[in-house]
Amino acid sequence: MLADAMEKGVVFNVQKYSVHDGPGIRTIVFLKGCPLRCRWCSNPESQKPAPDIAWNDTLCIGCQSCVRACPEHALSLDSQGIHKNHDLCIGCASCVRACPADAMFLYGGESRVKDVIDDVEKDSLFYARSGGGLTLSGGEPLFQSKFALALLREAKEHHIHRAMESCAFCPEDTFLAAAELLNYLLVDVKCFDSEKHRYFTGQSNTLILSNIRAVRRAFPQLKLHLRTPVIPGVNDTEQDIAAIASFAKEVGANAYELLPYHKMGETKYRFLGKDYPMGDAALDETRFKSLQELAAKVLPSTP
Amino acid sequence: MSCCCALSTQEKILQDKAAGKENPNRAKHQRLFDILETFDGMAPIVDADRALLFTQTMKETEGQPLELRWAKALMNIAQNIPVHIDYRQLLAGRCGTTGRYGILYPELDGDFMADALDSLAEAKTAAPISVSPEIAAIVRNEITPYWKGKTFHEDLNRSLPPEVHHLAYNDELGIKTRFVVSENASYRSSQQWVLDYAKVIDRGFASIKAEAQAKLDALDPLSPMDTLKKRPFLEAVIITCDAIVIWAHRHAELARSMAAEEKDPVRKKELLQIAKHCERVPEFPARTFREAVQAQWFAQMFSRLEQRTGTIISNGRMDQYFYRLYKQDIEAGVITDDDVLELLDCMWVGMAQFTDISLSPGGMATQEGYAHWEAVTIGGQTRDGKDATNELSYLILKSRQASPMPYPDLATRIHSRSPQRFLWEIAETIKVGQGYPKLFNDEEIIPLHLAKGAPLGDIFDYTASGCAEIRMPNRDTMTSSCGQVNLGAALEMVLRNGRMKKYGDELIGLETGDPRSFSTWEEFWQAYLKQQEHLLAASYVEQCVIHHTRARHFAGPLASCLHDLCMASCMDLHTDEKIPGGIDLGFVDIIGFATLVDSLSAVKKCVYEDQAISMDELLRALDDDFEGHEALRLRLTRAPRFGNNDMYADSIGLAVDRAAQQYCHKYAPETGLHIDIRTVSVTANVPHGKEVGALPCGRKAWMPFSDGSSPAQGADLNGPTQSIISNYNTKNWDYNERAARLLNIKFSPKCLEGDSGTEKLVSFIRVFCDLKLWHLQFNVINRETLLAAQEDPKRYRNLIIRIAGYSAYFTELSRDLQNDLISRTEQTTI
Repeated sequence: MLADAMEKGVVFNVQKYSVHDGPGIRTIVFLKGCPLRCRWCSNPESQKPAPDIAWNDTLCIGCQSCVRACPEHALSLDSQGIHKNHDLCIGCASCVRACPADAMFLYGGESRVKDVIDDVEKDSLFYARSGGGLTLSGGEPLFQSKFALALLREAKEHHIHRAMESCAFCPEDTFLAAAELLNYLLVDVKCFDSEKHRYFTGQSNTLILSNIRAVRRAFPQLKLHLRTPVIPGVNDTEQDIAAIASFAKEVGANAYELLPYHKMGETKYRFLGKDYPMGDAALDETRFKSLQELAAKVLPSTP
Repeated sequence: MSCCCALSTQEKILQDKAAGKENPNRAKHQRLFDILETFDGMAPIVDADRALLFTQTMKETEGQPLELRWAKALMNIAQNIPVHIDYRQLLAGRCGTTGRYGILYPELDGDFMADALDSLAEAKTAAPISVSPEIAAIVRNEITPYWKGKTFHEDLNRSLPPEVHHLAYNDELGIKTRFVVSENASYRSSQQWVLDYAKVIDRGFASIKAEAQAKLDALDPLSPMDTLKKRPFLEAVIITCDAIVIWAHRHAELARSMAAEEKDPVRKKELLQIAKHCERVPEFPARTFREAVQAQWFAQMFSRLEQRTGTIISNGRMDQYFYRLYKQDIEAGVITDDDVLELLDCMWVGMAQFTDISLSPGGMATQEGYAHWEAVTIGGQTRDGKDATNELSYLILKSRQASPMPYPDLATRIHSRSPQRFLWEIAETIKVGQGYPKLFNDEEIIPLHLAKGAPLGDIFDYTASGCAEIRMPNRDTMTSSCGQVNLGAALEMVLRNGRMKKYGDELIGLETGDPRSFSTWEEFWQAYLKQQEHLLAASYVEQCVIHHTRARHFAGPLASCLHDLCMASCMDLHTDEKIPGGIDLGFVDIIGFATLVDSLSAVKKCVYEDQAISMDELLRALDDDFEGHEALRLRLTRAPRFGNNDMYADSIGLAVDRAAQQYCHKYAPETGLHIDIRTVSVTANVPHGKEVGALPCGRKAWMPFSDGSSPAQGADLNGPTQSIISNYNTKNWDYNERAARLLNIKFSPKCLEGDSGTEKLVSFIRVFCDLKLWHLQFNVINRETLLAAQEDPKRYRNLIIRIAGYSAYFTELSRDLQNDLISRTEQTTI
């Protein structure tokens, strides 16, 4: 549909040859904006719906083009590098345009559905050979629900296999509308205990769990793959994992997979001028392995 | 979405080794490891026996027909070269002394060999060569004096037109290569080549000799051409057939006398079996798999004594010519798969000891790290177009998965009906991380060669030869080694009006005008095309002179007697006359493809479209090697680049490829040869880069160019799928004048992890096949491992890495090439 093709949204990354998020060789389209604020978030640039201006100290050549370009005089160069006065910044991105080194850059930009799908379709040969396709991710892809649904409809028109990675924190009808367009659904369940969930993510899990139940009732054939990022000090106990695993089994998920905590998002916090909330926390590898074994007794890790 | 980094199998084994653990493959490959330990880490020893015996005969036979002299030299070598049987080896036959060794070919470089060996002995390189004072003295006093004024390269040096010589060499003697229009013919007597090993195994040399004898008897004694041309050829064949049999029998005698003294009953039995094999083959047809392997081994080793082919004679379709006897012996229960694996190991470890030694600066720079292309080919299709994969294909893959050495180079032929099991095992072998196998695509190679005139059966039966080339062993007839054109230099000469930064005011190319006077991109582009055509034309002249000069210097009676068309016409393979029924397939290599495309894209975008940089500013920045112009350099690097499936850059690449092919389309017919566009740099991207100053893609002066048809170092930012599609986008399809295109892709082990990683790699290979690209190879290694190996070369001495059509030990490469490999993009995934 033309209306879908012209729909616009904010995308912060398109990842080709993605091999871990759904079947086959896939392209992940990351949509900006998220209703949760997980403390361990590895994509801090995904949280706000609007583009973020960031600064990569390792690429900066100290030419001060950005400082001169800023109409609000929000930038200055000090011994730590480029300093930004966040109160003055109006997000006009003049600094980004002025930077010759890509050191001042934007996380996210507005795209039309048509352009995203054209880009995704470049790998159609790889999807045909591997059973792969498009995976929507975020942030939370349904945070921009109109855009996400338009993307899925357009992908369906183009006969591209569709998967989505979601936290399931959204209105039920939106979640079901997306599920109807999907071939494969990945949902994160972070904690089974609602209060703990609220403490670490900012929201209770009641809506999440009920959405998962609703989607299974409405689409019993849809491949449903539940996952838990195992975070040290949050959900790395047998009780935590056993509770989520039995929920996965009871709800009729096709797979349940544990993902180990990683620190790969740390530099992005620095680029955004934010502190990394997890500090030096590290996941014990042996513990993770035994939790994986526990989960594997309940459900396979891939469908 | 997971945290821990993954290691390739090779990296795991190296890590375990550092922790004192045993290589898990040793138990099953004990003999391989035992023999390997006798020479592992050793610098190759120069052996002068072949050169000395060859020179002796040449001295004694002056004035006789060349093929006859060559055959007599082979006979002298066969009768007198010391023979050895190595510790624990099951195969007999080597070309020189024990351990890791190399031999000399004074017919190529005899005039400067003594000086070159002296400087090699002193040179502190990553790939050292050991030259004893005794050998140096023999070379200086007994070998080189004869060759002064007689070598091919001296003749070539005299014969090249001055303007071509100026582009090819930096000195009057033609020893120092100028990597602008460089040649490779003066340090090898044949381009990459493959023998028809099936003939050796199934017929034997007694039968070939009988055929030659019958032809000789049937010659017309009144015919002057029969007398002058056919007779010496046939006599040479007969002598050569006798020579290889004599050489084999000397090994039989040695094995018997060693057996007589051997205390260990197991080894005694082995030696007696070796003796029996050497008495039978290669004189008569092999009757067992073991005999077949010994026959093939003698043929390839004797071929190395005959001549220096393009970085080692290739092994052909091993899973095809060995299969009949393999199947026979397995069914009869006289051999097991473990026996077969052990024999294969014996071949591999024999190959690993032979080093192809380059004495000329050109040869050394373009084939670093003891380059070797003794390519073994598996898979593909049969002569009648059916899938050819068999149990032996799988055993060869299995044996290469377990091997701790980069020998032999392994090529796999892929087609649209290749079984999933075959692709799966190929993917598993790639994941070991030692850079092999390389992939050849039947879906491109077969139709292309049909269009070039190959008969269907012959091209169905093609084999990999050398780095990325192919051969039809009974149809290919051109042995002239082919040249290279520096694309970066062509561009630099547009920017400097025919001059190069390295050579100052000296006029090197065409004067296409001051680029500041070009007001449009079109003018700039036309100037570039003129420079490119100028260099291609020089390369064509060079190639024609080479082709016609070689015939006066080289003969190959062994290679010729194994070739149907040579035997039919009684012509030596090295003739410059047309061999009836033959196809003469050659090429000109274009070096620095992606570096050029990115540079043209940056000029088009920044100078002409955006007008963000003036031509004058650009020229000043290039002249200063970007010192003080970092912002400008970064702006240039942000122009669209090849390797990202971006048609802005890719359409320029296509235009470059098309223009090059168009030149060949127009001018190849008058040469009578196929000199087609090949995009394979081997390691020439390093020395060609050293000729050229800073370029508009942001590459600094003297740095390596991009390799083969791969994206420039760090330029492909959108993953392997976009990189390979860009390769497709830039390939011109509507002429036949294209040859191999070599594509390197580096994966991090993480994105190939587990069965699901293998499955996706298989899909990736299927798409490569669908895209009809010629060649693809992989490095599966973590960047950190390469950095660690630079810091601690001893510990990582056995680290194997893919270069360009071959794998080598990383620590035996120059620092320049190591850095180049590190800077190529590692394809990872989230």
